Amino acid sequence: MKEELDSQLSAMFDDELASAECELLARRLSRDGELRARWERYAVIAAAIRAERGVRLNARVARRVSVIVGAEPALAATAAPGRVSRRWVRPVAGAAVAASVAAVSVLWLRTHQVPGPVAAAPELAAVLATRVTAPTVVPAAARSPAGPDSYVVPPAARSGAAIVPAELANYVVAHSMFSPPVARRNLLSSFMTSEPAAAGPIAVSTDGAQGSPRDAKGSAQ
Amino acid sequence: MGADASDLSLVRRVQRGDKGAFDALVLKYQHKLVKLVMRYVRNPAEAEDIAQEAFIKAYRALPQFRGDSAFYTWLYRIAINTAKNAVVSRDRSPIEYNIDRNNEESYDMQSRLKDSETPEALVLTEEIRSIVNAAIEALPEDLRTAIVLRELEGLSYEEIAAAMDCPVGTVRSRIFRAREAIDRRLREVFEGGLGRTEELG
Repeated sequence: MKEELDSQLSAMFDDELASAECELLARRLSRDGELRARWERYAVIAAAIRAERGVRLNARVARRVSVIVGAEPALAATAAPGRVSRRWVRPVAGAAVAASVAAVSVLWLRTHQVPGPVAAAPELAAVLATRVTAPTVVPAAARSPAGPDSYVVPPAARSGAAIVPAELANYVVAHSMFSPPVARRNLLSSFMTSEPAAAGPIAVSTDGAQGSPRDAKGSAQ
Repeated sequence: MGADASDLSLVRRVQRGDKGAFDALVLKYQHKLVKLVMRYVRNPAEAEDIAQEAFIKAYRALPQFRGDSAFYTWLYRIAINTAKNAVVSRDRSPIEYNIDRNNEESYDMQSRLKDSETPEALVLTEEIRSIVNAAIEALPEDLRTAIVLRELEGLSYEEIAAAMDCPVGTVRSRIFRAREAIDRRLREVFEGGLGRTEELG
């Protein structure tokens, strides 16, 4: 039994022992002083055979390291809090980075907010106000029986750039030169995408009511 | 048999707070590390100090060791960096001994301070080497070949088995019996000699 143990120790010293046996023997090696002394002599034999010049074959380094390590806290005691903190630090740090990026994005969007065509061109807004801000009277069929007779629908022209009249295009383009590049690009693309709708003039009824069939349908709903 | 399984099992124990397992690792590698450091410094005592520092650094860094490389490779890198740093810092602030070179006795003292390879340490080292060599000479041929191929040539058991045309189990047995034979003769020196050297060293 003793010989088998020593044989295993010799194989373990050469890294030729199975992992499971290494685990068991490592435990014994760390506790059994006699076994460790044998292990030490195996190391001395190896160094002596290799005839390492200048290397003193005593265990001075090992003894001094053992004394210093003995005075230090055991690794398990020091490593445990580190593991816990590491486990929490990563997600928290990730969330912090994500929050920072989100905050910067919001701030950037606020400062560089893309103005709509009306905001980009105040003159246009004024023109539009005179032409399209007249209250829309909902047809009688669409009125609620219990509702008031003079129901006012918000002007449709304010909801988007699609109904900017074509005749104002030159005016808008000329004045949008003073607006930010992003807004200018947005404005021009609005013209392009809304060309068919914008080609015709806004239908304004003689009694002050305006709206396209689409608006009427939307209001009825 | 996993490469580095032996070291890894000891490392895992150290990481769980078993300092005795670290002692085993130091005992196994102290001579190799001193030899490695001596590529950078000539003085054996300085090499031992650097090796000691490297082991302490390794111990403190062991919680971060994940076993991606072999333990000795990792330790080797720490030792090399420690040695390089030691050489750089020594070159920046060389130790000045305020000794008159004209005074022969003082100059001789300086030489001895620099060369801390004390006669006692040398004698013990030479004594150990001669005992080991004599024990190896006395071994049967098959045991001697096996232990020399292992320790001097660094061959694995499988490679030795191929070279000696025998099973791996036989190689393991031969190496163990060779070590036991050498160890029997070495034990007497160790029991009396090492303690004496510690006091002197």
